[in-house]
Amino acid sequence: MSVSSHTTNSASTVSATSSRPDTAHSTGVADSGRWSTRRIAMYALFVALAMATSFIEFPIIPGIQWLKYDPSGIVALIAGFAFGPAAAAIASVLGFVPHLFMDPWGTLMAVLVALSLSLPAAFIYRANRTRKNALIGLIAGAVCALIIAIVGNLIVTPIYAHMTVAQVAALIVPALLPFNLLKFAIHGVVTFAIYKPITTLLDK
Amino acid sequence: MNTTATAAALTGIRFSYDGGASWALDGVDLTIHAGEYVCLTGANGSGKSTLARLIAGLTAPDAGDITLLGHRVFASPDADGTAAGANPAEYRAARRGIGAVFQNPEDQIVTTITEDDVAFGSENLGLARDTIGERIADSLDAVDMAAHRQDDPTRMSGGQQQRVAIAGMLAMNPAMLVLDEPTAMLDPAARADVLRILDELHARGTTIVHVTHHADEAARADRVVRLEHGRIVGDRRNEADHSADAGTPASKPLPASVRSSAAPHRQSHSPAGSSATSSAPAIAVSHVSYQYPGADRPAISDLSLTVNAGETVAIMGENGAGKSTLARLLCALDKPTAGSISVAGVPVAVDRAIGDAADTLATAAGTVSSEHRHHASRVHALNRRQRERLRSVVGFVMQHPERQLFADTVADDVAYGPRNQRLAEPEVAKRVTDALHLLHIDHLADRSPFSLSGGQQRLVAIAGVIACRPRVLVMDEPTASLDADATARIHELIRALNAQGVTVLIITHSFAEARAVADRTVTLGGGSISTDTANAAAAGAIDDHRPAFSAGTKSGANVSAPTSSASSAGNAQSGGITASANAATVSSGLTNTAAPDHDAAGSLGGEAARGKRSLIARLDPRVKMVAFLAMMFTAFAINTPLQLALGAVVVAGIVAASGVGPLRLLRSVHMFLAMFVVMGLLNVFFVRSGDVLAQLGPIPITDDGVTIAILYALRFALVIILGAILLETTTPTELTDGFGSLLSPLNRFGLHTQELALVMSLALRFLPTLGAEAKAVADAQAARGGTIETGPLPARLRAMTALCVPMFAGAIRHADNLSLALDARCYEEGIRRTHWRELRVRGRDWAFCAATLLYIAALVALGMLA
Repeated sequence: MSVSSHTTNSASTVSATSSRPDTAHSTGVADSGRWSTRRIAMYALFVALAMATSFIEFPIIPGIQWLKYDPSGIVALIAGFAFGPAAAAIASVLGFVPHLFMDPWGTLMAVLVALSLSLPAAFIYRANRTRKNALIGLIAGAVCALIIAIVGNLIVTPIYAHMTVAQVAALIVPALLPFNLLKFAIHGVVTFAIYKPITTLLDK
Repeated sequence: MNTTATAAALTGIRFSYDGGASWALDGVDLTIHAGEYVCLTGANGSGKSTLARLIAGLTAPDAGDITLLGHRVFASPDADGTAAGANPAEYRAARRGIGAVFQNPEDQIVTTITEDDVAFGSENLGLARDTIGERIADSLDAVDMAAHRQDDPTRMSGGQQQRVAIAGMLAMNPAMLVLDEPTAMLDPAARADVLRILDELHARGTTIVHVTHHADEAARADRVVRLEHGRIVGDRRNEADHSADAGTPASKPLPASVRSSAAPHRQSHSPAGSSATSSAPAIAVSHVSYQYPGADRPAISDLSLTVNAGETVAIMGENGAGKSTLARLLCALDKPTAGSISVAGVPVAVDRAIGDAADTLATAAGTVSSEHRHHASRVHALNRRQRERLRSVVGFVMQHPERQLFADTVADDVAYGPRNQRLAEPEVAKRVTDALHLLHIDHLADRSPFSLSGGQQRLVAIAGVIACRPRVLVMDEPTASLDADATARIHELIRALNAQGVTVLIITHSFAEARAVADRTVTLGGGSISTDTANAAAAGAIDDHRPAFSAGTKSGANVSAPTSSASSAGNAQSGGITASANAATVSSGLTNTAAPDHDAAGSLGGEAARGKRSLIARLDPRVKMVAFLAMMFTAFAINTPLQLALGAVVVAGIVAASGVGPLRLLRSVHMFLAMFVVMGLLNVFFVRSGDVLAQLGPIPITDDGVTIAILYALRFALVIILGAILLETTTPTELTDGFGSLLSPLNRFGLHTQELALVMSLALRFLPTLGAEAKAVADAQAARGGTIETGPLPARLRAMTALCVPMFAGAIRHADNLSLALDARCYEEGIRRTHWRELRVRGRDWAFCAATLLYIAALVALGMLA
C-alpha cells in the first residue's frame, strides 16, 4: 500500500504539483513532502463520501439478491483520478472500516476489490492525464477487480454459507461474472461521466 | 502573552486569485493596534475576506509586508528576489496567537463531542493535559456553553455551533481573533448572542477583527475599515454607539423599480374579496400533523391552511417552527402522520379519518400526535401516476438550491427538469431560454455552473425549477445570504410568476421580504399557525430597517449552511432513488449508534453520564477493538452446537456487561435480520446430506441442511451483536484515538498514522452531514422528475450524474472550509500533539485480553474434539 509520501524534495515536488490538493498562496507552514491541511480535509471528505455510498446497497441482477451493488467504488476511482493512488487507497480502505464491525470477512474482500479497481486506474491515469488513459485505467482496474472479486468469492462464500469451493465455482458463470461485469461497467460509465465537472470544481 | 502595541501591520499588499489578471487586493496598507475592535466592511468581492485571511495568517499575499503579533511573516520580494516571501517559522509562531472563526459554523467542527472539539487546538499546541482541561472549562464558560460540554456539536443549532467554534479558538488563548462574517448564517437571536460574546472578549483585551455586512454590527466596533475593489476607501473611528449610519451596504435600499412595482401588482392579485369567485384553492392543508421518526414532539401539529390560486403567501416563524417541514409535506417528500393535503388538485395526502368524520377530528393537537403512532398508515399517500402529476405542477426551491447543480453547462442543468418531463427538444430549449430570461441570466447559458459566483448559482438553480413551469411554486428561504441585487431579481421573478397566475409559497425570515412580495403572511409557531395577516395594509412600506437575512451576504464559492434537520431525519418518500435515501438514514443511524452517550448526556449533563459508563464502555478502545475483532473473526470457525453454546454464553456476558439494553441492541442489528433469512435459506437449499425432511420441487430439504442453516445464521448473529456492542459502547473519538494508536508502529515505514487517524475521525464526523445532503439532493432532483430506477438508459445515467456531482461538490466545499478551520487551529502534519483523552491500558483491560484469549483457545479446543 503506497500511502507514504517521502520527504525527498526533488522526487515529490513533480507529482505534488499535479496530484496534491494544495493551493498557491501558501504560508509555507504545511508544504512540500508533507500533508497539508487541505489534503487531509479532502481525503477526509472523500472517505466520508465512500462510507456514505458504501451503505447504498441494492441488487442489480434480478434473482441474485445476495450480491449487492454499492457505488463506493466510484468515490475511490474519482479520488484516484483527482489526487493520485494514495487517495484511492485511503478511500478504498478507510471507506469500508465501518463495515468491519458488521461483516468482517466480507469487508476484507470488499477492500481488496476496491483497491484492485482504483489503484491500477489511478496509476495509469497519473502517468498521462488524458481521457483515453482514464478509459484504459478504468478497464484495467475492472479486469483486476474482476479477478480479485471472483477469487475472493471462492474463499469467502464458504465461510458464510455451507458450500464447497466447487459449489461456489459453479456459480461463477451464472452469477458472479455477470454481476461483477455489470458492477464495474456502472462504476466506469458513471466515473467517466462525472469526472469532468468534478475536476472543473477542483481546479476552481 | 504578547503585548506588542501593534497586533497586525500590513503594507503594500497585493493579492490575485488568477495569477495577476485581476487583483483581489491592490495596495492595501493597514495597521491594527493591540486591543482594538476593528470591523472590515465592503460589498461582495471587495476583498475583505481575503484581507481577513491575511491578517489571520492563513494565506500569504503576492506582494507586500506583513507583521503579525510581532512576527515578520511575509516580506516583499526584493528586486533580486532574495530572502523574501513567506517565512514559515514566523507564520507558525504568529498563528499560535491568532484565532480565526468563519462564516459556516458546521464546517469548523472537527469531532462529535464538544469538549474534544474545544480541546483540539490546545492539543495541537502541545499543551499539558491539566492546562487543556482548564482551557476547555474557561472557554466554554466564556461562550455560555458549559452545560453542553458532552453534547454533540454537529447536532447543535448554527448559533450554538458558532459559539463552540469561538470556544475552540479561545482555548488556544489568542491575542487576536479574526472573524469572517460569523453571524451570516444565524437567526437574529443567535446573532445577538455571538455579538455579545465578542464584546465581552474585547473588554478582556482581545484584539478583534470582524468582517461584516451589517451596519449595526460595524457600529459596535472601535474602528470601521471599508474596502472597495481591493482598496481601502474608508477608515474611521466610531465615536459613540449610534447605529445604522448611511452608506454601508446593509442599509442600501432596494432598487426603485422593484419598489414601485411591488404595490400596484399586489393589489391586482389580492385575494381579499375576490377569492370566493376563484376556483378550487391551489393549496389546501387540513388538520395536518407530522412527527419525524425518533423525534419526541411533532414538528407540525394540527395545521390547517388554504392558499388560493394565484396568491403569494409568505411563511414566517422561528427556526424549528415547522416551516421547512410544511414545504416538504406539500411536495410529497414526507407523508403527514395525520391530516389531508391537496395541491393544485392533486391529493398529496388523504387522511381517512378526516374523510369519515371531519368534525370529530378537530381535537387538540396533542391528542392527534400521540394517537398517530397507532395509526401510522392511516394517511393515504400518492400513487405513482399522481406523484408524476404533482411533480409537473409543483416546483420546489429548497434551501441552498445551488447545491443541486451538476451539469457541464447552465443550459443543460436548467434543461434537466423539462427533459425528465419527456418534452421534445425544441420545447426544452424554449423552456430553458424563457427561464434564463426571467432571471436575467441569458448570458450564462454556456458557462459551467461551477465557475459562477454563489449568487449566480442560486439564480441558475431557481431557473432549473422555473423551467418545469410549475403552477404552484414553493420556495424555502430563496434569498438567504444573497446580496441586494440577486435578492431583487428573485423578488421580481416572484411578481412575474404571480402575474402569470402562479401560486407562490415563500418561506422567509425577513419581514421586508414578506411585505415586498406576499399578499399575506402566515406565521408558524410550535408547529401550528400563530398569525395569518393580509399584507395590503403594509403595502409600500418596505424601506425601513432591512433585517439580517435579506441584507446579507452574497455567498462565495465556499458558502454552505448546516442542512436542515428536516431533510436528515425524513424517511424516503421521494418516489425514485429510494436507495440513496435509505443510505442517508443508515449512515446517520450508524453515527447514532457510534455515539451512544451523547443522547444521554444531552439530558443528564456531562459528569453524570460519564460516571455511569458500563464496564465494556470503560475498556481501553485499543484493547476493545482488537479483542472484539478477534472474537468476530473466529466466530466463523464455530461449527458445532457446543462451540455455538460457548460463543453464545460469552457474547451474552459481554452484552450484560455493556449496559446496552436489549431493545437498543435489537434496533441496531435489525437491518441484518433480513440477511439471516436469505443466508439461512441458501444453506437449506445447498446441503444435501442427512435425512430428507421435505421436497421442494427438485430440491430436497434435509435435517442437516436445517441444522446448518440455524448454526450459520446464529454464528453470524454473534458477529453482528459483537460489532453492535463495540459501536454502541465506543465514541467515534475513542475509535479514532485507538485506531491511530494501533497504527502508530507503522510510522516507521513512512505511513502517516497521525494523519490517517485524523482523516478517519473527520470522515466519521462528516458522514451524517453528507448523508443528509445526499438526501436533500435526491429529494430536489426527484422534485425535478429525475429517477434512476425507470426510464431509458441515458436518462438514468443523467439522473445518476445529477445525484453524484452535487455530492462530490458538497464534499469538496466542506473540505475547503475544513482545511481553513484546521489551519486556524494550528494543525500541522507531524507536530507533537498532546492528548486530552489519555489512552491507558489498565488491569481490567489485561483481564479482558486474557478472557478473550481463553475463549478463543476453548473454541479451538472444542473444534478439535469434534
